[in-house]
Amino acid sequence: MLALLEIRRRKLQFGFVTGVVALIAYLIIMVTGLGLGLYDAAGTALLNLNGDHLAYAANSNFSVIRSRLAEADVAEVRALPGAEAATPIGYVAAVIEYAPEETDTAAIIGVIPGSFAEPEVVEGRPLGGPDEILIDRSWARLAGTRVGDSLALPIGFQTRNFTVAGIVDQGYFFFQPAMYVDIDSWQELNFQGDPADRPAASLVLLQGRDLDGLRGENWRVVTKEDGFNNIEGVQAQQSTVDALRYMGLLIGAMVIGVFFYVITLQKVSLLGVLKAIGAPGSYLIVQGLLQVLIVCALGAVIAVGLALLTEATVLASDAIPINFTTGAMTTASISVVIAGVVGSLLSARQVASVDPIIAMQQQ
Amino acid sequence: MPILQLSEVSRSFGQGARRVDAVREVSLQVDRGEVVALEGPSGSGKTTLLALAGALLTPTAGEILVDGEDITKYGARARTRYRRDRVGFVFQGSNMVPFLTARENLLLVGDFGAIDRPALRRRADELLEQLDLAGVRDQVATSLSGGERQRVAIARALMRDPTLLLVDEPTASLNFELGARVVDALLSEVHLRDKACIMVTHDDRMAQRADRLVEILDGAIVSDRPLR
Ligand SMILES: Nc1ncnc2c1ncn2[C@@H]1O[C@H](COP(=O)(O)OP(=O)(O)OP(=O)(O)O)[C@@H](O)[C@H]1O
Ligand SMILES: [Mg+2]
Repeated sequence: MLALLEIRRRKLQFGFVTGVVALIAYLIIMVTGLGLGLYDAAGTALLNLNGDHLAYAANSNFSVIRSRLAEADVAEVRALPGAEAATPIGYVAAVIEYAPEETDTAAIIGVIPGSFAEPEVVEGRPLGGPDEILIDRSWARLAGTRVGDSLALPIGFQTRNFTVAGIVDQGYFFFQPAMYVDIDSWQELNFQGDPADRPAASLVLLQGRDLDGLRGENWRVVTKEDGFNNIEGVQAQQSTVDALRYMGLLIGAMVIGVFFYVITLQKVSLLGVLKAIGAPGSYLIVQGLLQVLIVCALGAVIAVGLALLTEATVLASDAIPINFTTGAMTTASISVVIAGVVGSLLSARQVASVDPIIAMQQQ
Repeated sequence: MPILQLSEVSRSFGQGARRVDAVREVSLQVDRGEVVALEGPSGSGKTTLLALAGALLTPTAGEILVDGEDITKYGARARTRYRRDRVGFVFQGSNMVPFLTARENLLLVGDFGAIDRPALRRRADELLEQLDLAGVRDQVATSLSGGERQRVAIARALMRDPTLLLVDEPTASLNFELGARVVDALLSEVHLRDKACIMVTHDDRMAQRADRLVEILDGAIVSDRPLR
């Protein structure tokens, strides 16, 4: 009764903290969403590949950009005893012109048409020839490109037109929308000069078990997840985002902690009176924690509302890499509540230590 | 059997040269239906004596029997329960929960456990009526006058039907007329409900309204006489 009535009668104070908690929770949800968004943008297309291991060039330091495998290396990897299936993949970043004077960069991934590396289309049909391309769904929406449209990609000093055969939903790669072409076309996009000297692939995608750590003279096999974590900047980016999130939680815990500590200090004499007339310390602590829970839960609910609003307005129309998943919002909300409770433990100790004799000492 | 019986109770604070003997070998008993006024100059140990009887302090020597039970032997939990169930406190200043109404301040004691809620509500309304507070029952404590607040405090002290009422200068912040009304309200409740009561006061005019007057000086009782 005490906790709820105090909140009801002191709306201004509690409204203020709830607002602050809501903003902090909102910030945490945004940062968490940004973390997920960046994580996705960094290489979901790689994680979505239909295999579990990747072979990189030995001298590439597991960088997709630097990895180049010769025909013989690909053949060697294909022949590995544990490999149930293997198929080469090429990667190159390319500028695409999707309308006159309108350009964008895309991650062009070369696959053998019909191989398990070619993603399922969500619209249109799979690759049917060397002049066809599968484009990313969210990019297609932003660029207004449809199945049957034509995209120009530079080859050497020339450009070559590709027809959009289908639309895929594999996500991003190196912060660029992933698009798929025939691996032979990839080879032409990426390398000029004598075809006999061109690398055959960037990577080999493998399906099979016990492949992790296998190595040849020119290649190394790692799991797809290790490959992802080795994408340039992924680790640094995720630790930055995590640091921001923990800062947010720390600030939230401190704000809530300080607020409740101050209102507890204001109430010391009242707490003394209540203890003197027989209120158990546990009752008073529970009332305090109840208030913390209410403030934090309400703050979290408001923050989720704000986040959903942001998602529906700002994010819907733009390519900001923020991903609001239910999981992210739940985690952020629960974290804020936990941070609040932790922050208010000091107040709980304060409540416990009030000596009821002070009820008789005040004038 | 008296409700409250103090035998050779002493309480000191501090050590060595800074030691203060606030209460010295006090023996006192209070019977059912009796209001004892405890009068003495500032620093004579009145509040300390009250705190001892209310188990807010433990004596350094002596025993304190309430209904024949030695409360000095109680642990922390038993002391809390003793204060909750058997003692009614009225403190000097305002000690209402400021953001609760008069009635809510009374009902709050139900939150401390072990009581029948409907009975509590009936009791609150009955006490508000008797103490002439029915008109302000839904007013927030901070908006009550000093006299009203002290009467709410008396009502709160009676909510759990305690056997012993401990009242520390209930009229200190009131003028004589209001103070007299508050004391009279207290006296009639104690007599009506057959409680034992110690009322600390500075003011001889208030003390004269009690059933018995005990005077204390430097922690020791110097006189104890009936007033009627
Ligand atoms: N917690 C304490 N620590 C040290 N000394 C104390 C403490 N409480 C009371 N005293 C001392 O004990 C003596 C009696 O104090 P007490 O408060 O009982 O007096 P009182 O009769 O109620 O005075 P007043 O009329 O001013 O309220 C005083 O000298 C006081 O300084
Ligand atoms: Mg005093």
